[in-house]
Amino acid sequence: MTDDTDPTPTRRALLRAAAGTGAVGLGSTAGCVNVITPVDRAERTAVQGNVGYLVGVPWLADNRDDVVVLDARNRERFRAERIYGARHVPLDRVTQQHETGRGLAPDTDTIATAFADRGLDPTDDVVVYGASIGSRVTRVVFALEAVGHEGAVRVLNGGFDPWTGRVGTGPAGSTGSTAYEPQPNEELWCTRGWLAEHVGSFNADGPALIDCRSPEAYLGAAGSAALNPENDRHGHLPGALNVHWVGNVAGRQLTAPGDLVQMYEGEGELDRDEPTVVYGDKNVNPTSTWLTLRAVGFEDVRLYDGGFAEWANVDTDRGRHPVETATNVVIETDGELGGEDSSGDFSCTG
Amino acid sequence: MTSPNPGGSIAAVPCEGADELVILDVDTGDHLGSISVGPDPVHATTAAGSTFVATMGDRAVSAVTPEGAVERIETGVLGPSHFATAGGNLFVSCSAGDSLSVIDPVDRRLLGRIPVGAEPHEVATGPAETALYVGSRREGRVDVVSVPDRSVVDSIDIGPNARVQGVTVGPDGDRGYAVDQRGTRVVAFETTPDHSVQDTAAVGADPYDLVVTDRRVHVPGRDAGTVHAFDRELGSVTVHDGFNRPVDLLAADDSLWVLDAGRAGLVSLTGRFVDTPAPGLAASSAGDRLLLSHYDDSLVSLVSPTEGVVWVSEVPARPFGAVLV
Repeated sequence: MTDDTDPTPTRRALLRAAAGTGAVGLGSTAGCVNVITPVDRAERTAVQGNVGYLVGVPWLADNRDDVVVLDARNRERFRAERIYGARHVPLDRVTQQHETGRGLAPDTDTIATAFADRGLDPTDDVVVYGASIGSRVTRVVFALEAVGHEGAVRVLNGGFDPWTGRVGTGPAGSTGSTAYEPQPNEELWCTRGWLAEHVGSFNADGPALIDCRSPEAYLGAAGSAALNPENDRHGHLPGALNVHWVGNVAGRQLTAPGDLVQMYEGEGELDRDEPTVVYGDKNVNPTSTWLTLRAVGFEDVRLYDGGFAEWANVDTDRGRHPVETATNVVIETDGELGGEDSSGDFSCTG
Repeated sequence: MTSPNPGGSIAAVPCEGADELVILDVDTGDHLGSISVGPDPVHATTAAGSTFVATMGDRAVSAVTPEGAVERIETGVLGPSHFATAGGNLFVSCSAGDSLSVIDPVDRRLLGRIPVGAEPHEVATGPAETALYVGSRREGRVDVVSVPDRSVVDSIDIGPNARVQGVTVGPDGDRGYAVDQRGTRVVAFETTPDHSVQDTAAVGADPYDLVVTDRRVHVPGRDAGTVHAFDRELGSVTVHDGFNRPVDLLAADDSLWVLDAGRAGLVSLTGRFVDTPAPGLAASSAGDRLLLSHYDDSLVSLVSPTEGVVWVSEVPARPFGAVLV
């Protein structure tokens, strides 16, 4: 006899039972009231309120057959265990840049080829996940939006760990390749040349500008390990506000939306209706802030893809590309990074 | 109707705590007016008929035009601090960044920014105004800027971890001097041809500025309460002590007077003493008299070495580097 009903509730019931919470109904709660089951963790990833991009494990479980799942973790983790049917996206393929004459910009041709190699069609609805909701995940999302992906793009809140559904392991099978013609979405990024034209106006009468690096890097703190030794200069773009991107993350999940709004609009005094530029040292970590701001309703958020590493090392006309050090507009964050090890979302210093 | 102080000298005093430029009659101390100039004004200078004010809390300087209007000139980089004029242009160090902004004082517009060592502070003008010397508080160097080319042509390494505060060029023009605040020393360098470091000497703790006269190089040590006086090769040192917090020296009545931020009085290097209404932090020469900014007491005074205090005027908060017009 076959069971045609939705297996999800059954699976959850079994998991509850396995974790001991099934005993609650039998009046045997001693020692069990604080047990957190896998199902609890999965249900906690559910996204409440008007937050863009994010979906929880229950949503993905209910819609698994209708979406392409992309795994943004490193290859070792992907091979060890993954959401069944997920396709791996190598980070180095979606961070490629090209020189525009006005500075570095995303190489949308190369990025689109990376998605084509994973068998992705521009119209596919996609869910991206990682070890948590770190910057590898958000970079993949940015890359999809940058090439003008037509299907819906979503992010799994909480990452792989709370996933309670079917898992796969080992090398991924071939998915075949597709033709993926990029439709570059150029309003999602800006170049060094564009920023140089706005020096002096950031967070004043020009666009908002957020430095997403650590406060030590932002301040150019002498001797700090946070400084990129390959940079000629340290500090930040004139007028930039510092909000470390890890403040976007609480454990494996997005920080509570109310806290994010308070951080960016309350303390940072940013206006969601005005253009906002984010940058890091390179082009991975700041996409966390890029996505977070869009998720909570900022309408025009742009990534400086070249990042501080390009700005600080510009060869000519550094007078047009000044760096400030003796300013300290730092919004303190208390973000907590999940993901367990350094090979997951947080290995990339972006 | 006559204008106040027709034909007389006036002092334009930036008041950092009030975002104002206060105008005083130098003869009487009368308050002639105040001009709102932007956040944290610290130094003022004049060029091409305009008065320029470095507003350290902004990415701009203010200009009071010959017509009496106030204009803002965007520097793009925070912390405009010290001015220098050379080659017909105005240069201002942007002390929170790594730029020296170049301003056309006639058209009152930004001509460009010269990249220099981070956190530039004082700017010294070389012989014939062909070069500027810009000290970096962060990178331990003095950049040599070509005025015609508006670019850095050389950098003088003042030493590991040096924090360069005061920079000046001696009257002969062939030697420059830089104060390394962190290293508690003064460094002499050639202005031509290769800008090599010539001599160094230890000074009193927490040096900040320096004053070079025809024969001597004077370096106050603020924490030490001393003034070291050297010959131009930084040898033959004389240490003047007994000060509380010496910050600057000014010439008046054939003496050098030590401005003391810890004492209400001026003491000359020859031992003369003049009472002042409060400790002073900045001063300007006004003939044989000295115009003192009493930063912590919101006062400006005119002091004569021979007559004592001529007048005292209350001003808004934190008066600093005035210019006499």
